[in-house]
Amino acid sequence: MTTASEPYVLNIGPQHPSTHGVFRLRVVMDGERIQDIDMVVGYLHRSMEKLAEERTFTQNIPFTDRTDYLAAMSNNLGYCLAVERLAGVEVPERASFLRVIFAELQRLASHSMANGTFINDAGAWQTPLMYMFREREKILDLFEMTCGARLTTNYMRIGGVSFDPPPEFYPAVEALVAELPDRIAEYTELLVDNEILIARARGVGIISAADAINGSITGPMLRASGVPWDLRKADPYCAYDKFDFEIPVGHNGDCYDRFMVRLEEMRQSVRIIRQALDGLPSGPHKTEIPLALRPAPGEAYARVEGPRGELGFYVVSDGGPAPARFHIRAPSLINLSLLRQMAVGTSLPDAIVALGSTDIVVGEIDR
Amino acid sequence: MTSIGITIAFYALSGLSIGAAVAVFLTRNLLHAVIFVILAFIGMAGLFVTLSADFLAVSQVMIYAGAISVLLVFAVMLTPYASRDNGNSLFAPVGVLVGLGFAALIGFVATQVAWPVFSGSDLEAQNFTGTVRTIGGALLGGYALPFELASVLLLAALVGAIALVREDER
Amino acid sequence: MSAALDPIRTRRPQGDLALVVSLFAVILLIGGAAGVGYLVLSGSLDGRWYDFRDLGVGMAHLAEWLDEQNASQPAATRALLGDHWMSYLTTAVIGGIGILSFVGGVLLILIWVERRLIARIQVRRGPNRLGPYGLLQPLADAIKLIQKEVLIPEGADRFLFFLPPILVFIPGLLVWGPVPWAPNMAYLDLNVGVLYLIAISSLATVAIFIAGWSSNNHYALLGAMRTVAMMISYEIPLGMALISVVLLAGSMQLSEIVRWQAQHYAWMAFLIPFSLFTFFFSSTAELNRTPNDIAEAESEIVAGFHTEYSGMKFGLFYAVELGNAVAVAAFVTAFFLGGWSLFGLEAFIPGYIIFATKVAAGYFVLVWLRGTLPRFRLDQLMAFAWKYLIPITIAHTTLVAAEVTAMGALALPGIVELGTVALVNIAFTVWVMRRWARFLGYRPETERVMQPKLTTQVGGLHAAERMRGAS
Repeated sequence: MTTASEPYVLNIGPQHPSTHGVFRLRVVMDGERIQDIDMVVGYLHRSMEKLAEERTFTQNIPFTDRTDYLAAMSNNLGYCLAVERLAGVEVPERASFLRVIFAELQRLASHSMANGTFINDAGAWQTPLMYMFREREKILDLFEMTCGARLTTNYMRIGGVSFDPPPEFYPAVEALVAELPDRIAEYTELLVDNEILIARARGVGIISAADAINGSITGPMLRASGVPWDLRKADPYCAYDKFDFEIPVGHNGDCYDRFMVRLEEMRQSVRIIRQALDGLPSGPHKTEIPLALRPAPGEAYARVEGPRGELGFYVVSDGGPAPARFHIRAPSLINLSLLRQMAVGTSLPDAIVALGSTDIVVGEIDR
Repeated sequence: MTSIGITIAFYALSGLSIGAAVAVFLTRNLLHAVIFVILAFIGMAGLFVTLSADFLAVSQVMIYAGAISVLLVFAVMLTPYASRDNGNSLFAPVGVLVGLGFAALIGFVATQVAWPVFSGSDLEAQNFTGTVRTIGGALLGGYALPFELASVLLLAALVGAIALVREDER
Repeated sequence: MSAALDPIRTRRPQGDLALVVSLFAVILLIGGAAGVGYLVLSGSLDGRWYDFRDLGVGMAHLAEWLDEQNASQPAATRALLGDHWMSYLTTAVIGGIGILSFVGGVLLILIWVERRLIARIQVRRGPNRLGPYGLLQPLADAIKLIQKEVLIPEGADRFLFFLPPILVFIPGLLVWGPVPWAPNMAYLDLNVGVLYLIAISSLATVAIFIAGWSSNNHYALLGAMRTVAMMISYEIPLGMALISVVLLAGSMQLSEIVRWQAQHYAWMAFLIPFSLFTFFFSSTAELNRTPNDIAEAESEIVAGFHTEYSGMKFGLFYAVELGNAVAVAAFVTAFFLGGWSLFGLEAFIPGYIIFATKVAAGYFVLVWLRGTLPRFRLDQLMAFAWKYLIPITIAHTTLVAAEVTAMGALALPGIVELGTVALVNIAFTVWVMRRWARFLGYRPETERVMQPKLTTQVGGLHAAERMRGAS
């Protein structure tokens, strides 16, 4: 005599403590085993790409803040690089260095949040999150000091950066960079050896290198699967080719490797900021461009290594002050497409942990 | 049963147990019936306490109200159509007959067997501290064989249950 | 560092006033301690009704006085109601009021304690807006919950929906009965106290299951089933850990267990540490606290079995969970940490104060675990209970039984016996835990932390394979 069971549908709905935003998962489950996952996105769609066609190139920079709201500086940077490529605008060297400093600060902030929420999903009631938020608070204070906003910074401009950092910025960032290695060592000591974290994250959500490349995964997820690919080294932009840093590569492609890769990237970011501060040249912080920039008709695609992966901006100009087409290659959306492969066949806690390790931001997915 | 306290307790607990048992078969919803069964179990545990059977009372709560009730709730939950109106079941006359038969049997046993009675003062005279030692001694002394057989039976039931719900290895 | 980077500073109270007050308090404390010491040493407190070290003595005097009053009642009343009805009634009512007020007070204070402690572990402050240091926060929480709209989900069985908060509160109150606060202060000093505790805590299981089932909600049902599976699995190691305690102490009565520890100047924690660990860990599973709180794993199934409960019903669940945590701390104290005894100091310090201090320490450890550790997955939890804890507990109980028999057969001085027992148990625990874990497949050296490899060369799939081949 056998018993039969029916699969049922569990709706991890748009409002949920762990979906990292407004994002819906319909999970077909059989007991505790997941049979299929259906992802419904679009709850945060704000039609940015269409709205951008009505505004000038400079007016579109605040839009890019709000796609990936946890990595605003990287978004700004990518967009400005694309338009600069389209319009042929030169960027002064000081501006490049400043861009690198702020992009790496943003990477630190974003990885603090990513790792913190990942461990939150694994069950530690926000304690590591609160610890990691100490540094994030200091970084956001630095942002506010420089450009007036903590999260949606709107800092980069086409041709450079919008403001030169004030004099009190430099001692503050030096102090931060001096204490950060100790802090990251503290997190390493507390978390990396934790048996429970290893039991929850080791072997969960494995993506092999071939699958990752076939699925167009980029960013820490790709590096955790063992592929040594980082746009800062492969296709250097800004002043990254002047700095000496390494890229961490994981072993198995499971959630634990992604966590370790992000932690190691934080250390490397501190190195880069240190070098950029030491070698910061003087000079203008942006090139003057006309108010309504009219680039020659054409198209350009620029990509940056955002905290979540390859953040690409595709801009088409038809000679007018506004872009004819504006498209964002959102790494979160493409990384998310492998969630089904990671989660089917496992249990619900494993799927949540795997989702946490993909580090998605729904603003980027839905634009 | 000499003191008034025990008399009041006896009547109250008996009323509770019998009332809960009656409610079990009067209610239409199976899960409500399970709740009343739990209440009856607790009433019976109270009756054990009035008889100074402390170990039995606590075991009754632990085994019946704590574990078997969970089993009953699971069983009701996994039964299809458990929430339907059970008042018009075809088995009602058979149930009544079987119930009457049981009542006759238990009545015969209760009235015809010579139950030894120990009152409170008898127990005090023997320095009776509790039933745990007595039951333990009996279980591992005179009644050791039934005890071991019962545990083997439980093991067989456990293994059988696991074998029933095991999924085929793919 | 510029002011922009400093956290918001709060003003401390005036330093001078605090210094004066604390000096005064210290002088008062020393004076009080000296006075108490004199009273105790001169023996003028033993057996008197005003012996504040043990409120049970006063109650015994009250009961005697009431019995004398009872003897002068008319004969008809005495024949009907018995010879002790006044003392029984009075002691029962006073004890009941005592326990109710204690539990009620504890439940209110606990919300504040837990939130402040967890906040401090998380590098933040916790509630500090309502009242001084946020002390009115639990009151505000209670009022907020009471005035919420009573929401019953459509399709939920009304009778079964209202029942679980009550069913969960009753055991939470009843478990405080047998707790021995001082040599004569145990309200419900049952002969089968240990078994009573296990029985009462198993009543919560069916309440949680009914809560999940009657909510008509997938999350709630999932949470309820997980909870029930976990709770019934961990009841077994819980009970078996206590068997070792009962074997050593020779009685299931809680006050006897504490008295045994006081007489032998040995806490069970030193003699059977594995039982302490098992009891503590299984209790976190029974309490649905981290690291075993998958029942209400907020990040997965919202709130588990109490998802649909709002208002005071949820407040009851939450408060009872905290109350049970303190009850577990009280049991750990009574069974393993010596209860009201402190190697002879209980002659000077009231027993209930020693007991309360140990309970606070136990509760602190529970909150510490909650704030620090991530949670286990359900199948890992169940595997741990069934494959690891239960076999070792069985072996440990057998070992303790052998030791008790040996101690009964040989008549060595107490310290030699107990010292040997402690050493043998500790050695057994350490050795068996490691060997058994290894036998079950735990290989820490192959699962060592693997730091990511650092490289400066980028590449694609072939580079990945080369790097993997090189490692």
